Amino acid sequence: MAITILPPVVEDFGPRQSDSEDEMSINSDEDTEMGGVSLDRPTKRARLENKIGTGIVTPGEVVTDDPQWMRGHGTYMNPLSTSIIATVAGTINKTNKLLSVHPLRARYTPEIGDLVIGRIVEVQSRRWKVDVAAPLLAGLPLSAINLPGGILRRRTSADELQIRTFFSEGDLVVAEVQSVHQDGAASLHTRSLKYGKLRNGVFLAVTGTGGSGASSTSTKGGVGSASAPAASSGTGGVVRSRRQVWTVNTANGGGDVDVILGVNGYIWISKHADGAAAASSATENVSITRMEEMVSSSIYSSQNDEIAPQTRREIARLAQCIRVLVQGGVRVDEETVMGAYEASLQVDLEVGDDDDEDELHQEGREYLEGAKARHILEVVIHGK
Amino acid sequence: MSNQRQASSASQTPHLSPAELSYLYTSLSLPGSPIRPDGRSPTQFRPLTAETNILPGTNGSARIGFADGTQAIVGVKAEVERTTLSADTLDAREFDPNHDRESQEGSAAVSGHGSWVQMSIEIPGFRDDDALPVFLSEMMRESLVGSVGADESGMAGGLKGRLVINKRWHWRLYIDVLLLSQPLSYPLPLLSLTTHLALLSTKLPKLKSQGEEDPFFDDDWAVAEYLYPRSSSTLKKSPSQHVRPPVTLLVISVGDNVIFDPNREEIAVADAVLAISVTRGEGGGLKLLSIRTIDPPSRLTQPGIPNSENVNMLGATPAEENALTQATGEEEVSGVWRPRRGGVKRSVVANMVRTVLKKGGVGEEVLEGLEGVEVV
Repeated sequence: MAITILPPVVEDFGPRQSDSEDEMSINSDEDTEMGGVSLDRPTKRARLENKIGTGIVTPGEVVTDDPQWMRGHGTYMNPLSTSIIATVAGTINKTNKLLSVHPLRARYTPEIGDLVIGRIVEVQSRRWKVDVAAPLLAGLPLSAINLPGGILRRRTSADELQIRTFFSEGDLVVAEVQSVHQDGAASLHTRSLKYGKLRNGVFLAVTGTGGSGASSTSTKGGVGSASAPAASSGTGGVVRSRRQVWTVNTANGGGDVDVILGVNGYIWISKHADGAAAASSATENVSITRMEEMVSSSIYSSQNDEIAPQTRREIARLAQCIRVLVQGGVRVDEETVMGAYEASLQVDLEVGDDDDEDELHQEGREYLEGAKARHILEVVIHGK
Repeated sequence: MSNQRQASSASQTPHLSPAELSYLYTSLSLPGSPIRPDGRSPTQFRPLTAETNILPGTNGSARIGFADGTQAIVGVKAEVERTTLSADTLDAREFDPNHDRESQEGSAAVSGHGSWVQMSIEIPGFRDDDALPVFLSEMMRESLVGSVGADESGMAGGLKGRLVINKRWHWRLYIDVLLLSQPLSYPLPLLSLTTHLALLSTKLPKLKSQGEEDPFFDDDWAVAEYLYPRSSSTLKKSPSQHVRPPVTLLVISVGDNVIFDPNREEIAVADAVLAISVTRGEGGGLKLLSIRTIDPPSRLTQPGIPNSENVNMLGATPAEENALTQATGEEEVSGVWRPRRGGVKRSVVANMVRTVLKKGGVGEEVLEGLEGVEVV
């Protein structure tokens, strides 16, 4: 079947209302005094309650006018009244008496030390402007990159003239946030062998996400896909975590695949290249003394290595797993990605048994959607 | 800045790095079985959600949402208008209200006119006189009204003929297409499928007057007739039963592979982008209405630099290899992106059309799928 046409998902607001009440109180502490207090809405709201999903508030919506609550992030309070008004679209968080609204989507707020993936959008005389999904473009100064061959010296005007040979518009860069300016713009650096230009793989943007607020590490914004099932009550996105770069030993003869999760929601999945492999791919005979040189100079290459179809297939599978996670509103980190990957292999085995003979069914079965996606999500959420 | 340029090209192309483009191109052009970034098979569409008759004030309407979150709404409104007769049509004395085609040959008043269908497309971020909306609406309107005119068999139920009420009056159709989201990929297939669905659900009030009288309609909406008769409807048995509004599909070719429903990244590396309009003709067979080439955005991309020419790699590449590749100049180096230049092979274009048109092919499946959408 080439095309699947589904009826639109009608959100069932009746039962959802009680669900969302639970959701809303998930974050509240076991405070008996608070237990009885539900978020009383104004009467006008109560009348409309059948029509409005209660788990999510929209900007301008009165969250509560009970004076006992303090306003937190994402809310606003008119000085003349006691009602707390949401300023972002998102879910309500309660921490003791603090009421905050956690946005469904937010842009990334850079913090020092974040591993980010960015795309060069502008080349200036002494720096690059990099899109890192933050409100402002980040800067990558010429002085903050490694020169080919690892030479340490002042950047000359000759370097400035050939700035495009390092990175030019459209190139993807993995970098670290070195400093954050007053206005929130980040300054990046790539002064490590881990960082530099990206090749041999696919880019995936889990955008609309953001490291919104350092405190809430468990949930970051996610993409609310319009057609995603109503189950996406949580918010997904990439999480700041201990390991954001790791290597997957893939099944089906795919070999090793590197995954880089940028905190800003940009993700890179590529064929694994350790130093020696990268060097040997550039030239066959390289002396051991020049190894260091090789590694750092191949950072600026834009030529892909030979990548086997099996590896490409597994890269595509990993990318899909992450997409499924994001659509399901699950946070993206090493654990969930690996869980989803295992689950997708499992699903594949099960489906493979059913219609192995049918050529047509086999064709599209690598596409993860619908029932398969739900199954994977279930395994990831409940299976561990 | 580059909005104008993008508007004329196949999509608002994302800036992709040469390494990404090369990876995508090689994956998609693998002989036999391309590997798409989302794991679909070449002819597989992303799942979409569809519903009809969502706008109460229209004669027919539909909404389709693609899996990537883009959505479109189409409303079809009909209005009775007096036909201004040109001199040569005045002598067409005989007229049969049942649109019998033998009696209406050669008369504009009875065979309908293309300008009776008006289409307007609204895409956020574009003015209505920008190239993209104008081009899209013309492309869709053309196949809609053209599906009859060029055909020698002259299907009586074709859209233009169907709009004729009698010699002095006709229907005028206003098709308003609204893209609700930013165009993530080239919005043509989405808009075309939605328009198709809206036209399928369009109803016109039942005519009570006869012949050359001023038209007078039954005000009972329940007996209104579908613009395109549904297969279940018993109101009108005619050979036009199978006539369906056209669907325009976006097909790309990468290498020798033909890929349907491309997403944005896939369009970005395409060798050729074709918009193929098909419809179901008489007898249920598929009929090719038009093929339009769309400027592939891969043309505008930056080429990759092979390691041998990379200034930063000079120390790394051995000298002899260096000299060798420099001599070959513009030669294709594997793993390095080169913007596609020149055309596409005839056999590839033929293959694209064949995949759409063949029995049990993609075109039929899409039409069947749309037919299966419940019309409320």
